[in-house]
Amino acid sequence: MRKLLTCAVPALWLLTHLTLSAPYIQEKSIIDDLGEIHILGSPPERIISLAPNITEILFALGLEEKIVGVTRYCNYPINARTKTRIGGLVDPDLEKIIHLQPDLVIAYRGNPLNLVHRLKDLGLPVFVLEAGTTVESALHLIERIGVVTRKEKASQGLIARLKKNYKKIRDRLANADIRPKVFINLHGKGLWTCGKNTFLNDMVLKAEAINIAGEVDRAWFNYNREELIHQNPDYIVVITKSKEDFLDVKTWFKEQSHLGSIKAIQNENIFLLNEDLVTRLGPRIFEAFEQLARILHSSSFEAGI
Amino acid sequence: MTAGKKRAQILAILLILLVCGFYLSLTKGSVKTTFSDLWDFFAHNNQTHAQIFIHLRLSRALLAFLVGASLSLSGAILQGYFQNPMAGPFVVGVSSGASFGAVLALILGLNMSIWGFSLQNVFAFCSGFAIVSLVYILSLRTGAFKVETLLLTGIAAGALASSLTSFLIFFKSESFEQAVFWLLGSFHLADWNQIRVILSTFVLGIIISQWLAKDMNLLVMGDEIARSLGCSVNRTRKIFLIVSTLLASSSVSVSGIIGFVGLIVPHWVRLIIGPDHRYLFFASSLTGGVFLMFCDLLARTVLAGSELPIGIITAAVGAPFFIYLLNKRR
Repeated sequence: MRKLLTCAVPALWLLTHLTLSAPYIQEKSIIDDLGEIHILGSPPERIISLAPNITEILFALGLEEKIVGVTRYCNYPINARTKTRIGGLVDPDLEKIIHLQPDLVIAYRGNPLNLVHRLKDLGLPVFVLEAGTTVESALHLIERIGVVTRKEKASQGLIARLKKNYKKIRDRLANADIRPKVFINLHGKGLWTCGKNTFLNDMVLKAEAINIAGEVDRAWFNYNREELIHQNPDYIVVITKSKEDFLDVKTWFKEQSHLGSIKAIQNENIFLLNEDLVTRLGPRIFEAFEQLARILHSSSFEAGI
Repeated sequence: MTAGKKRAQILAILLILLVCGFYLSLTKGSVKTTFSDLWDFFAHNNQTHAQIFIHLRLSRALLAFLVGASLSLSGAILQGYFQNPMAGPFVVGVSSGASFGAVLALILGLNMSIWGFSLQNVFAFCSGFAIVSLVYILSLRTGAFKVETLLLTGIAAGALASSLTSFLIFFKSESFEQAVFWLLGSFHLADWNQIRVILSTFVLGIIISQWLAKDMNLLVMGDEIARSLGCSVNRTRKIFLIVSTLLASSSVSVSGIIGFVGLIVPHWVRLIIGPDHRYLFFASSLTGGVFLMFCDLLARTVLAGSELPIGIITAAVGAPFFIYLLNKRR
């Protein structure tokens, strides 16, 4: 009996110890935005980013050293340009990706779905993120990337900072008495714009303004000229890569004689927002938001700053 | 037999080109690899190299070969069938019909698959076949079977299918990137499931068409003569139509619309070895396969850092050579 006890006690102790520590032995996992399980092992050492906003988030979380590949569009921060290019968002070079032997590939829904599946079939650890339809989705992306790269602390810090600034600007806008009408111009000369369910539309709304194309149930499309004249926007915000392109578009708008009755054109309320800043759901989206708010509600910002 | 000797020569050249094509496809790519890397992979089964050589380069080269072979065989059948050099999977509306089916399946979010055969393949075949049947029935209704009516109806039906495809893409812009893939054609995402699909339809197609090649030779002489020589014209015509549709639509469903190959390769081959379908079918398949494999090799290696759409290469390489052959003939 005593013999049995001397055996049983350590055995029991071992058993309880094992069952208690089991969750810690087992690897943690996370479900990505595609609904697939992603195992969280040790912190990733070789990360490939498949989109510029993801690259910007990785840099902001201090993961510069761990990035081994970025897309040809990743140009910010400046050091992103020194990283190996793996191709574009739609046509990344699969050979190069495999050759770089990544232990984490971060994709998002702007990458075609069949591409994502192909990467997974090749045995690559791909983590997929939702594309996002609001300004705040940038925070969601930062949080998810923080978890999957095991940089939770850094990401929480960054989110808190961004939220604070964001709130400051929104507070200033809270007592704006008018909500101006805005036309967002994309892709240079012409009337390409953004409709419902785009984060750009959301940004305009959060900046206490009205996107005149915001009622249209399409994402990116060519706006109707007659509708533009009828809506008569107070502001035209031109989204281009450079100042030169912006000036071209501005001149183009002023030269269109049939658009002469539009308030934004009469009052020269045509402004530039940098394309890289405003089209990437990363930390800098809040800078873009602040710039937009300052354009549309300059009076709210006159006092101070 | 000089004709036999010439055929043997051409076969030898094609086989040499085939081997070279596979060798180059395996060793060339954006990641620099040498023969010793290939050896290293065979000898030591290096994992990274296994992925690059087998799952990326070999699968891609094989897929390009099989799609080229299928499209050319489909074109060779259709040109014999219609006795018209303008015929090809594009002209009779098969390609447009099949791409409509593929895009429709994509937009409806149907991605089930059994044994590598996905609903996309099924949709592509069904709608390709629907277009061809429609064209066939419409051209029969005008009285006697007329080749011109069939070709013109085919062009019209193809245009209709293309416009429906564009509408679908416009309607659901989130699938835009993937839908464009079908319109431009690419082997970028080649995998073994696609190879399984196209390999099975190609093997079926080449066996049936070789088996009926003699009858095709009779059909070319005209339905009356063929009938008097003991060929059951209607049955043969139906089988050939189904086979060529199957070949073209399974090509479209795995790699999108790749133009020019199905039209031009059978012409090359006919200009070189003559119009006997017993040899024409096989030679067209082999030539088309080798041609598309080399085109894809160029498409992925010419520009550093990005890929050229394969349609640019097929036309840029194919057209001048075609014009040269036509002129030499004259």
